[in-house]
Amino acid sequence: MSPVERQFNLLENLELQFGAQTFFAKLHKTDTCGSNGLPLTPNSIIIYGKAQILKNIKHKHLCQYLDIIRGKHERLIVVSQFSGEPLTNYIRKDSLEVGDKICIAQQIILGLHELHKREIVHRYLCSENVLIQKDGSVKLFNYGLYHMTNYGKLISFPLIQLLYAPPEVYLENLDFFLCAFCFQTIIICTPGIGIILCELALEKRLWHNLKLGQRIRKILSLIQSNGSVFERIAREHNCFEQYLELAPNFRDLIEDCLKVYAKDRPTTEELLQRDIFTLENATEIGTPSRSSFQVFTLTEFYHWWQLAGGDVFLELKKQGLLRSSPPILSLPGLILNDGTTLGQERNPATLHDPRIVPMPLDALHQRFAHIPLSSYYPLVFSKSHIIKKFEAPTYDVTNLPLVIRERDPEYQFHRVILLRKLLYGYPYTRDMIVEEAEIDIPPLLRGDIWMALLDIKGDYEREYVQIDKETQTTTDRQIEVDIPRCHQYNELLSSAEGHKKLKRILKAWVYKNSNYVYWQGLDSLTAPFLYLNFNNEAKAFACLSTFVPKYLHKFFLKDNSSIIQEYLAKFSQLIAFHDPILANHLQDINFIPELFAIPWFLTMFSHVFPLHKIFHLWDKLLQGDSSFPLHVGLSVLTQLRSRLLESGFNECILLFSDLPDIDMETCVKDSIATYIITPKSITARQHQNEMYEILDADFVSNLVSRCPRISTNNLVDMVRTCPIEVLVIDIRSTKQFNICSVIGSINIPLESVKLEEPFVENLGIHSNLLTENTDKNIVIVSTEDAAMETFAEYLLKCGVSRVCSLSGGFNNLLPIFPTILIPQNQI
Amino acid sequence: MSTEDKVFIFTHDKYGFETTITIPFEGSIQEYVYILITHHDLPIYIADKIFSQLSKFISESSTEFYDNVTTSLIQKSKGNLIDIDEITKEWEKIFREEMTEYGERRCASDEELFATAYHKLVHSPALETMLQLEHTYALTVKEKCDEKDRQICDLSNRQTDEMSTAVDQLEKGVTESDINELATKHFEDQTLMQVQLQSEIDTIKEAQKREYREWLMQMLEQSQANNSLPTPKHSPVAPIPPMIPTKSYRNSKENKVSHPILEESFTVHLGSQLKQMHNIRILRANVMNLCSITDNSLEPTPQSLQTALGLYSNELSGLVLIHDEIGGSKLTQDFRKICQSSTEFHFPHVDDQLERISHLQQQLRKDSDLKSRQNTKHLQPGDFYITRHSNLSQVHVIFHIVSDDTLKGGDINSRHPVVLGLRNIVKTACSNDITSLTIPLLLNYEMSEDMTISWCEKRAELVFKCVKGFMIEMASWGGSDLKNLQFMLPEGISSEVFQSLTEMLPRIFKVSNPLILKSSK
Repeated sequence: MSPVERQFNLLENLELQFGAQTFFAKLHKTDTCGSNGLPLTPNSIIIYGKAQILKNIKHKHLCQYLDIIRGKHERLIVVSQFSGEPLTNYIRKDSLEVGDKICIAQQIILGLHELHKREIVHRYLCSENVLIQKDGSVKLFNYGLYHMTNYGKLISFPLIQLLYAPPEVYLENLDFFLCAFCFQTIIICTPGIGIILCELALEKRLWHNLKLGQRIRKILSLIQSNGSVFERIAREHNCFEQYLELAPNFRDLIEDCLKVYAKDRPTTEELLQRDIFTLENATEIGTPSRSSFQVFTLTEFYHWWQLAGGDVFLELKKQGLLRSSPPILSLPGLILNDGTTLGQERNPATLHDPRIVPMPLDALHQRFAHIPLSSYYPLVFSKSHIIKKFEAPTYDVTNLPLVIRERDPEYQFHRVILLRKLLYGYPYTRDMIVEEAEIDIPPLLRGDIWMALLDIKGDYEREYVQIDKETQTTTDRQIEVDIPRCHQYNELLSSAEGHKKLKRILKAWVYKNSNYVYWQGLDSLTAPFLYLNFNNEAKAFACLSTFVPKYLHKFFLKDNSSIIQEYLAKFSQLIAFHDPILANHLQDINFIPELFAIPWFLTMFSHVFPLHKIFHLWDKLLQGDSSFPLHVGLSVLTQLRSRLLESGFNECILLFSDLPDIDMETCVKDSIATYIITPKSITARQHQNEMYEILDADFVSNLVSRCPRISTNNLVDMVRTCPIEVLVIDIRSTKQFNICSVIGSINIPLESVKLEEPFVENLGIHSNLLTENTDKNIVIVSTEDAAMETFAEYLLKCGVSRVCSLSGGFNNLLPIFPTILIPQNQI
Repeated sequence: MSTEDKVFIFTHDKYGFETTITIPFEGSIQEYVYILITHHDLPIYIADKIFSQLSKFISESSTEFYDNVTTSLIQKSKGNLIDIDEITKEWEKIFREEMTEYGERRCASDEELFATAYHKLVHSPALETMLQLEHTYALTVKEKCDEKDRQICDLSNRQTDEMSTAVDQLEKGVTESDINELATKHFEDQTLMQVQLQSEIDTIKEAQKREYREWLMQMLEQSQANNSLPTPKHSPVAPIPPMIPTKSYRNSKENKVSHPILEESFTVHLGSQLKQMHNIRILRANVMNLCSITDNSLEPTPQSLQTALGLYSNELSGLVLIHDEIGGSKLTQDFRKICQSSTEFHFPHVDDQLERISHLQQQLRKDSDLKSRQNTKHLQPGDFYITRHSNLSQVHVIFHIVSDDTLKGGDINSRHPVVLGLRNIVKTACSNDITSLTIPLLLNYEMSEDMTISWCEKRAELVFKCVKGFMIEMASWGGSDLKNLQFMLPEGISSEVFQSLTEMLPRIFKVSNPLILKSSK
């Protein structure tokens, strides 16, 4: 690669580097139960939930958090941006100018200020956690530990940087774990800044050669000093002259930060107001942060890295951070009935090792080396063929299964780049997003893309803020019972934070939809949205609020029986339409959808499938209308078809009480296939939401009939546009048929049919047409409803598929203009 | 102590209200503002005003609150009310105990070094030679043990004869004291012989262990020096000439009514949405079959190969034994005998391990004097202890659970201490990477009179259901999954009962559906 090309390689940006560290969560003391009687959530899961919000923090002076991984036995791994060199390396004689030092100080404070605005306390500040980038800017690192461990309460090691922690933290020692809470206030970081600046100013690491105990003592002894703490430190390090030489405003800054009493210390906001920062470095503050329209972000980079084979566990193992002795060597000796364990020594491998392991990026760089620069900037609106010629050929994986496409780094690279770009243009680019989503949805951007598919606009955040989610209501109890049972295998949803958020969203929904009630199942329905938008409750809520009226209109009424009944009737008819043999069998054993399908539809299958399957299902659902779930239901039955046909009532009940594993990709494919070929009016419902789907005017509900009905418009459309896909059977008398009938229709007068013998061969010359039918919709036409019904059911019994009758009968066709009717005897 | 209530007063135009706020404030201030607005029926346009005042109030109150707490702390310390030395020491202790940086630099122990070496070699071409060697050693010890049994038996027979002749001659010049003397002598001879032979065996074992470990380490060094896979040319013992299996008397004794092993396997899944697979097997066999290395064969069994491979892995296999009390029952004795019949190369001898357990128990008794745990004389039902083994055929870890007579009754429920103990066992297994576990389905390894068919069914149902519950619970513990679960039935159980119990399982566990491969149309 030539040097010119090299400098354009966007992947080799120096800030695109990350590292990982690992620690253990504290174990719960023997067996304890929560107030709700359920076992306590493991601390590692609580931490996992609490840490999520850190991923949201993107700031120039803060390293971004990328991932939290939960290992076995309460291990946690934190992955975050890790670039540049620790400030510690710069603390030596004459390595920095005074201006640089002030600049560094300012950036540290800016970073901390950003954290404080988000109510996050660093508490782990030290010169090693200040990273100096190549361009001289500063990024704070490792600022989230105190937050994610609930102020250190969920871990057993002390979350303190020896010298940098303010002395009061040590004094609270005796009941450290109880009171950690009250130390969440922001001023706690100021002494840390003070010490770092002290080191910078004196160009020396403080008390570097002392032993652990002595260092603690030194910090504690600072409390006793009545005068200037800074001066005292300077004298102890034989740097009094340097101290005197410092610019007075710099010296004051340090002095103030090191004040013994917390009340005397300035906050970060006050610090930033100081003239030391406003005068000399005004330009520094003014520089705008990088444009938010990045081609890709570190999050995506990390995602690709993982897809390209990056393995955090492996890297940590290589560095000896996951070393553990064989389990057989550390078994306990004696365990009493109350859970007391004796004879198990503390495994030294569980001690906290704060090392950071940088992750190697070569594999990814190599994997992506051949990707030309133009692929980073795909043209979205270009119509020019000339330009198109210069674009790299598309990376072709269309024939591979979805799960493999989702794991192909290069494919995901192209998809993410393209869709990220389109998302920046949302809502203007909505149509294009929908078009792309039809191909597939990259998992990384699923939350945003779903939002685009649901067409969510406007200030949903403001709307959410205004909803009261705190005040007690009557449904609270039910919600609280349901939440600890909702997709709890998932770490996010089983975390304390997940429970809290789910409860808030559900309460908000109940508050906002006073015409509806909370039905069990709403929790499962919310789960996918919460999972995808864990750090943005408002968005999850907005998605839910749009999803329900679109797909589950009126399902959550206090009395929803008529809606559900209609839905299930349509389901039965759809089964009969596509699979008469199965329908007949289910009818024979009296296994009706009421017995198994209500939770399917009420939760859009989110109660029966694990999250990763729901995602693939809903990816397609969100592009269909409210009839799509019926087809999903049908395809689930199709997958279990052979077993259902062999089973009686009891076996079927047993089979559905715990649904067997369903192959989701096949299921989705089958659903789409039937969704496309089924005439729309067959699944149209009285209770569907007119905002989204308009009902044909002549639609007459027929929930009792086993076979579906088609609307006049639907039939007319089909006869006109694709006559080969429809077969009209006229069951009026031959005389009436000859006078006037639908173009291309055939005549089987009902009188001529022996209804008691359901064999299609009996129908004479037309029987071949019917038995071989696989691709035609058979529409039965007559003037009498009862006659159509009878004949449709007759065909169903014969096992003829895709049979429906014309809603309203033959007479509805008479006023149609241009007509689709012709007199037969003219031919 | 860590909260404080403060009253916030808001006035603007004609609107005003008062509310109590807990410092530190948790949650979103903005949302709270809207709650206040609804509560006090205020116009929406003053939301921003309330927000700015409230957030200022909260931030000031929090700062003040923190200041107060810390000021009082610091003043205390300034006034020497806090012992700085004490605090320094305590912090030092925390740092040393929890952080590798300050903790003692610790080298890998002998145990760990040997574990690494063994694990490495057992996964290399050396495996076969190693197992062969182990087996040869085991045979030697076994032979010695049999020899010992035989000699003791001979001695006993001889002594019985002597004694009976002596008793016969009681009237003819042999006095009672003579007989007493003879009895004492016999006893002494017995003991002496026991001790002598035992010590011989122990010496052999000790020698074998030393020899074996040295050989292993040597082989490892060599392979490391040559940077090649260890390929042993020779084992330290000469291959023993194939000997005709001597039909030992113990063996013939065991050849009484033999019950064929019955077993049936299932794959089940747990969880409603995400399905977790587990293997379950119901097995009717003598529990000791899992432990004893089959005698007389010249080749090591495939099971022991599996066991050796897994010894230092994260997939251990465990077995639950039920005892009346430490070292009491027949089962315990059989078990100890099996352990002693070959050399334990990795862990302390079973007696030493049991010694350690009773030591722990004594310690507990001492501690509990202070805490007044009731009835601490013995272990309670449901308590269990763990021993580790490398010389058993199919298991590495034994859970010895203590039970009592109530277990024989027909009306135990899920709160019975032994069932709760079972839960602790499952939990321990889960947090120590024991992924295969064998549990007595009837909580018993021996058939007895009162175990009627209905008793068996009731007991099996209880155990199935409880274990299922534990496994569901286990999923949230974050340990390793119990992949293989084996339920043992006593050897003497009839095949009809076995049948009815295997039929019960699919009713309690969800058996996975078979995957049927269909040829495409």
